[in-house]
Amino acid sequence: MFKFIKQYAETIKGIDVYPIISLFIFVLFFIAVLWYVRKMDKRKLEEIRNLPLDLADDNSYTNPTK
Amino acid sequence: MQLEQSTLTTKVAEPPVTGKRETFYYDNAIVRNFSYATIIWGVVGMLGGLWAALQLLFPNVLNVGPWFNFGRLRPLHTNAVIFAFVGNGIFMGYYYSIQRLLKSRMWSDKLSRIHFWGWQLIIVAAAITLPLGYTTGKEYAELEWPIDIAITVIWLVFGWNMFATILKRRERHLYVAVWFYIATFVTVAVLHVVNSIEIPAGFWKSYPVYAGVQDALVQWWYGHNAVAFFLTTPYLGLMYYFLPKAANRPVYSYKLSIIHFWALIFLYIWAGPHHLLYTALPNWAQSLGIVFSFMLIFPSWGGMINGLLTLRGAWDKVRDDVILKFMVVAVTAYGMATFEGPMLSLKSINALSHFTDWTVAHVHVGGLGWNGMLTFGILYWIIPKIFRTELFSKKLANLHFWLGTLGILFWAIPMYWAGFMQTSMWKQFTPSGQLKYQFLDTVTFMKPFYAVRGFGGTLFLLGAIIMMYNLFKTVAKAKIVANEQAEAPALEKVYHKHKGEHWHRWIERKPAPLLIASLIVILIGGAVEMIPTFMIKSNIPTIAAVKPYTPLELQGRDLYVREGCYVCHSQMIRPFRHETERYGEYSKAGEFVYDHPFQWGSKRTGPDLAREGAGNNRKSNAWHFNHLDDPQSISTGSVMPAYSFLIDNALDTSTTAGKIRVMQKLGVPYPAGYDKIANQDLVKQANEIAEDLKKNSVSVKSDKEVIAIIAYLQRLGTDITKNKMTAENK
Repeated sequence: MFKFIKQYAETIKGIDVYPIISLFIFVLFFIAVLWYVRKMDKRKLEEIRNLPLDLADDNSYTNPTK
Repeated sequence: MQLEQSTLTTKVAEPPVTGKRETFYYDNAIVRNFSYATIIWGVVGMLGGLWAALQLLFPNVLNVGPWFNFGRLRPLHTNAVIFAFVGNGIFMGYYYSIQRLLKSRMWSDKLSRIHFWGWQLIIVAAAITLPLGYTTGKEYAELEWPIDIAITVIWLVFGWNMFATILKRRERHLYVAVWFYIATFVTVAVLHVVNSIEIPAGFWKSYPVYAGVQDALVQWWYGHNAVAFFLTTPYLGLMYYFLPKAANRPVYSYKLSIIHFWALIFLYIWAGPHHLLYTALPNWAQSLGIVFSFMLIFPSWGGMINGLLTLRGAWDKVRDDVILKFMVVAVTAYGMATFEGPMLSLKSINALSHFTDWTVAHVHVGGLGWNGMLTFGILYWIIPKIFRTELFSKKLANLHFWLGTLGILFWAIPMYWAGFMQTSMWKQFTPSGQLKYQFLDTVTFMKPFYAVRGFGGTLFLLGAIIMMYNLFKTVAKAKIVANEQAEAPALEKVYHKHKGEHWHRWIERKPAPLLIASLIVILIGGAVEMIPTFMIKSNIPTIAAVKPYTPLELQGRDLYVREGCYVCHSQMIRPFRHETERYGEYSKAGEFVYDHPFQWGSKRTGPDLAREGAGNNRKSNAWHFNHLDDPQSISTGSVMPAYSFLIDNALDTSTTAGKIRVMQKLGVPYPAGYDKIANQDLVKQANEIAEDLKKNSVSVKSDKEVIAIIAYLQRLGTDITKNKMTAENK
């Protein structure tokens, strides 16, 4: 497996730096998600947030334990 | 009394109706089928767990060998609760919620039915093959290759139907629960396929293409993410749908759900190596696992906080509503388990917890608490709904809640205690520098803890049986609404973007980019961990003295795998003084290069066997023979099952040539053409062992299975000592 790539990967010096790179990728990704979330449209957000509560989805017998 | 719908204060105005209203029907029959399956398999799986737990107290009575010895029963239990109980639980909630979230019946009823029956057949196949000893020997992935293929096919059927339904939906936006379902589908598919790459050596026997350290890394990348993407993400999807439903209020923060979704799927995939701390896995991979495992606490708690805060202002309901009680305990258990997980990933804590019952307690807080209690809560919610009736008995449901909750406490507390005791006893030295306790002392000390754990398990099981009765009585007097009528406007063909819309809004509408983005996110983690381990020679230093197993040892090793010895015995000596004193020189990565599969194990109910054949650990062939025949006669108080059937069974040598050929394919350096003569060497070595046994007054024919397993046990750990080389890197 991977023989073709292997000979090249073996020659990469300091491949152990992968963890740092991956951490960096994650931080960037996380910042992007945070940034996006801040910019979200509140009206749409409320709409999506309430999607499960569409009462037409359920028949008239609700919570039987009350 | 019904809930007051008017209490729903946060509901916003309906989006403007733009398309023509259409009438359609939700498929409730598929929901019912999966709910029955989760109940039945749940009880069976828990019964298996209780039986296995009690085997440790009464090994001579409850080990019904060979089919139901602990080593075969425990994988049966774990597979049953994970893939049968939780698996069917996922699909029950998934089929109920996704139809309603997408305002659409499933794309194909036929595919839904194939999914249901295919999944049940896989479970039945597992229930038959695991007791028969057909296993790959890789935890939570024990099923052999024909079943692996069936799982892949059925999983694709599930995904196909899901995506086709998403494409014909009437709701433009994909609610966060649907994202979790998509991530689950994508990731489980990748995990299952990558971890199951194996070469068949017969219809019910295969060897993984990976060996030793690489196999360990792939296995725990899979194992950890089976927890993440089978026991966690789909259940978070269910939580995001059913908790708001049961509480009758929207999720606390939708923004938080977005952040926590992406962070969770990104981080989880990296965390696998925390199962291999202090092992022969390269250090950088261990560090990677630790860092990402620790960070996981944040998205995990994001989910927990979002769940619990959904109940803000509704805590008074929790007092009266048994469904919410189940859900609150579930989310709390999720929070506890996901706090503990990152802590257990820290090297100093892992050094204490690993291989002990502490880990077992940890997973059961998650399994019984998070998965179990959430499944129960959803069942009590769904069944009356789809049968348009009321629950038979609220009192019994409450009784179930208390039995379940107390069951978890009686289960987990003694096992945490047992774990602390084990680790401290293993580590203690006398003032003169000797190990204070024999391993067996620590085994017998555990029995009272195991007894209390058994009591906890009994309570939990009793609760589940009461639920079964309660739900049976509920449906007995009602008729299912198999096709539930609903109405919704069709989706506009052209979507009008609104001002200030962001890229994520686009991804939320489009399932394909969401799938691809999830796939990329999870592949980054897997690739970064695995490619260097596979590519870089320096990660697995070769040891010249390590040679392939002889044919008899290879057959013996397969028996070791068949009997599930790895369930209780590790083969991994960590570099701690108490371990090297007890078991010998610590394990090196290069020692495992011919181990398809690796057998490092994850729990020490019995002692480590990595150097069973070497140094002070080495015992005579006769000792092994007698110990396998009747463990308690050699080690008083041992909890090991008897393996006397190995003395009666003849070794099947017709498979030797095929196995050698597969090994050669995998790169094990047997000479060309060795497959044809391997059995000659096998017979020769078997005769030598039988001769030696005879000298020690043990009369057994050389063609019995016990001879092969003795050969394997005597080989363990001998490579680096036989050649008088300490693991010197070549």
